[in-house]
Amino acid sequence: METTTKTGTLVEAEELLRARTHSPLVPLPIEVRGPEPNRQTPAVGQRTTRPDARTHGLGQTKYIDDFYVPGMLYAKIKRAGVASARITKVDTSEAEAMPGVVAVITGKDIPVNSFGPSLKDQPVLAHERVFHAGDGVAAVAAVTEQIAADALEKIKIEYEEFAPVLDPLESLKLETPGVHAPSANIYGHKLIKKGDIEKGFAESYRIFEASFRTQMVEHVPLEPHSSLAQWDANGRLTIHSTLGRITLGRADIARTLGIPMSRIRIIATVVGGNFGGKNEITTEPVIGMLAKKTGRPVKCTFTRPEEFYASTTRHPIIMDYKTGVTKEGKILARKVRLVLDGGAYCSWSETTLGKACILCAGPYEIENLVAEAFVVYTNKTMTGAMRGFGAPQVCFGYESHMDDMAKALGIDPLEMRLRNVLKEGSLSPTSQALHSVVVKESLLQAAKRFGWNVQGAGQGQGALP
Amino acid sequence: MVRVSLTVNGEKRDAEVPPETTLLRMLREAFNLTGAKLGCDVGDCGACTVIVDGKLVNSCLMLAGQVDGRDVLTIEGLATADNLHPIQKVFEEKGSLQCGFCGPGVILSAKWLLDQNPDPSVPDIRDALSGNLCRCTGYTKMIEAIQTIARERTV
Repeated sequence: METTTKTGTLVEAEELLRARTHSPLVPLPIEVRGPEPNRQTPAVGQRTTRPDARTHGLGQTKYIDDFYVPGMLYAKIKRAGVASARITKVDTSEAEAMPGVVAVITGKDIPVNSFGPSLKDQPVLAHERVFHAGDGVAAVAAVTEQIAADALEKIKIEYEEFAPVLDPLESLKLETPGVHAPSANIYGHKLIKKGDIEKGFAESYRIFEASFRTQMVEHVPLEPHSSLAQWDANGRLTIHSTLGRITLGRADIARTLGIPMSRIRIIATVVGGNFGGKNEITTEPVIGMLAKKTGRPVKCTFTRPEEFYASTTRHPIIMDYKTGVTKEGKILARKVRLVLDGGAYCSWSETTLGKACILCAGPYEIENLVAEAFVVYTNKTMTGAMRGFGAPQVCFGYESHMDDMAKALGIDPLEMRLRNVLKEGSLSPTSQALHSVVVKESLLQAAKRFGWNVQGAGQGQGALP
Repeated sequence: MVRVSLTVNGEKRDAEVPPETTLLRMLREAFNLTGAKLGCDVGDCGACTVIVDGKLVNSCLMLAGQVDGRDVLTIEGLATADNLHPIQKVFEEKGSLQCGFCGPGVILSAKWLLDQNPDPSVPDIRDALSGNLCRCTGYTKMIEAIQTIARERTV
């Protein structure tokens, strides 16, 4: 059958339907409209309401922690509290003897004690080695949350502590002991080269160098991570979870529990804020094991402190910029080195590293560019996905650098940007030809709207309407 | 164990709970009222906001034993699906809630405000919502919604 979709024209939908079905169909009022280039979608400016707005407002939306199942136990996880150590002794007997405690597990009870969205470098519960203070070292299932919390204090763990690697620049040095020895501390690297930076720097009127750092940021979703595990009579596991990526999570749960994916069902409901922080499993294998051991449903909800030290965070990045410009402020060459602090585990570091490296030149036409990025392990809370995957960090770097250069050259910061922005057909750092580029128009419109260079505006005077 | 008798959303309720039980846990676990959420458990986020004898309360900071003989209003007591409270209606129309987790607390804070002050200024609204965190950053539309309700009511 031959159908061609012309842009901006209607396709005979009725004919399409008739051709693909056996029984005659009542013609449906379907219009298939192709995309129209350079035209605004009709959705803009329309008012709509969320389908879940009603239950949200009534307090009837059920988040994971709102599920209570008959016979359900509450799980709590004991955190290491030390950044780098060898576990020398684990004694759970006193906790196990407490009335109301039904089961206690440690790292040795996890069938395959490693997972991760890319590198499988994260233990479900630390066994033998602790890589950061938020590592779980034991878990308790009890009849109430309070008893589970009390039982954590009865678990005795002895450590042989090591000097932790905390500074990413220290971690980058080859002589620094490996956080995950024998693996190297540098676990991801990307290099982008375009043009000839030596030539670009040689032709520059001035060369500016600057270094910027960003800090670790936690997503702080208002809803803490939560999951609820139940096994059925046929040995199938159902987990209600706040997971954002349920299929990926299912693969990791299958791996860690040593059962086929077909035996696992993940149910994710409305999530109370994710922002990238709920893209991988946290407590799921732990409660899966506890539910198996006890034969009862088990729920685990993170405390707010656990959100900070036991879930992923945004990568801190150390950014070194070197930029050569003409007298008029046109960038001729740029060299960037990024060092991402990956924390204890890889998580989504590879994605973040790639994005940060590709975007670190900014939305500017730079013919001669070298951008190199490293991500290193440290004995800190792991870093992972968070809105923008590295883009916000480098934006802070290149825009701060731009302001400093504009000031030093005596050029208006807006003008300095307009002289360098990407245009229609410009090549990106990875030499991709760019289309629908409206950086200049966007900047000019923004400047007009918030009154750039208008007396009193943009000076922290509350110029916004 | 502590025996508690109270009024919840107009109904007489009784519970027997361990003395360390918070009002929030009693509402959620003894009465199956899960509209009030546990966000931080230390009184910072306001997701557990309820109204006790006309006062806004972080239910995670109040012990169950403290509400004996008192009157508690939770989000479930505010309205039904086909008979919405004006705040819920306008919040829905304005898209004031995204993930919705802070919603029950915010709506109760807004109700409390409008009960006290039928024509609040923007600073009054900001002040009333200062105990309710939203991480989807939807404050602007919440403030707009509360202003709209106040205007509609005063006309």
